[in-house]
Amino acid sequence: MHISDGVLSFQVIATGWIIALILNAIILWRCKSRHDMAEEIPKISIMTGAFFVASLVHVSIGPTSVHLLLTGLLGVVLGIMAFPAMLVGLTLQAFLFQHGGITTIGINNVMMGIPALLAYLIFRYGYRKGINASVLGIICGALGVILSGIFLALMLITTGEEFTEIAYAIVVAHIPVMIIEGIITGSVVTFILKVRPELLPLDREV
Amino acid sequence: MEYPEIDAYSSMDSPIHRFDPRAKIVSFTFLIFSLVFVNDIRVAFSGLVFSFFILLVSRLPPGFALKRIRMVFFFLFPLLLVMPLTVEGREIANISGISVTLDGLIFASLIIMRALAAVTLALTMLATTRFDMTMKTLYALKIPGTLVQMLMFTYRYIFVITDEFSRMWESMECKGFSLKANYHGLSIFGNMLGMIIIKSYDRTRRVYESMVSKGYSGRPRTLVHLKMSAKDYVLSTCMVGIAIFVHAYQFI
Repeated sequence: MHISDGVLSFQVIATGWIIALILNAIILWRCKSRHDMAEEIPKISIMTGAFFVASLVHVSIGPTSVHLLLTGLLGVVLGIMAFPAMLVGLTLQAFLFQHGGITTIGINNVMMGIPALLAYLIFRYGYRKGINASVLGIICGALGVILSGIFLALMLITTGEEFTEIAYAIVVAHIPVMIIEGIITGSVVTFILKVRPELLPLDREV
Repeated sequence: MEYPEIDAYSSMDSPIHRFDPRAKIVSFTFLIFSLVFVNDIRVAFSGLVFSFFILLVSRLPPGFALKRIRMVFFFLFPLLLVMPLTVEGREIANISGISVTLDGLIFASLIIMRALAAVTLALTMLATTRFDMTMKTLYALKIPGTLVQMLMFTYRYIFVITDEFSRMWESMECKGFSLKANYHGLSIFGNMLGMIIIKSYDRTRRVYESMVSKGYSGRPRTLVHLKMSAKDYVLSTCMVGIAIFVHAYQFI
């Protein structure tokens, strides 16, 4: 779920860009000082591409269909680089498919990037505590979606009272997506841990 | 699955195609950000008309453009039905106790017009320049190299992974799989997604090695030299002028 152009107020959009730019700068700087960027750039880009393609899949529930967000999964697989990866993905999505908006890239980045980061932290912490990985996957996948939905609703409400009812409707509409993503993320995480466990950034330091 | 070919018509010729890419990106972006925040519905409408005018000048095939603009309209159309019922204000109709307000209708149309103007301009901007040229322009505009490279590689690999995804999807459908929202369908789909992620991860290694062997060091080098002409200055001044005017007219 992303916000398109022309809906939010100037204050919300500006705050979104500021938070997104600061967080991206910190993460990229941190990554630059610890890893070789020449190696990281192609790696993260190709993974972003994979997530981009996967998020175009539509699952039909009853009369409507929803497309996947994969917020939680992105966080679990990419770690903190999920945030800049989300920026790249959203920019391409806005320009190539006209999903979301151009002026709202910043706020969408915050709205979907922060749940991704939280999903990563929860997954890492839970995994070290010895909680079953597929349960953790389900939790992270579901949490990523519902947090994005709640952020979206909060932004609409801060923009104007006109949006209150729509904001509630959006949170309710996220519940089926949350269940679907939870199941998918759980199954992806179990599969990766079985087939290629070194892919998950569990032992790496942040 | 379709390829996201945004620059399929970038080799055509029109005043917008000939517009210097740096000036194009800066002035279009400025105009988009300005039109998105207008509060008067008449100004928003004029902005929408102006962006359609730019689209016409660019001579992009109408089918190509409308298909993409339509998506935004469908996405926002529900607002037009919901907002007259939820926003309080002047009443224009009363359906069995539920009031339909003019203010809600105006507010919803305002949002839709702003969004359509923005998407039309963004589409025209991107569709009239080759994608690699747009990326080189971003370097020229001093956007951080890391981000531009990530944009470029991601764009390139979207095509590759779309192919890979379609191949796997076809072979699963041949075996009788169809994606339904039940536990079995979703967990099988999750396994397939996991496989895509693992395949992409393995690909990153090969791509990195082949890039390094061709001299890649993480620092981009471009050979393009852009030159602004008088026409570019005039056109971008006009666009920036309009962008400022839609907000400043009320103070004059």
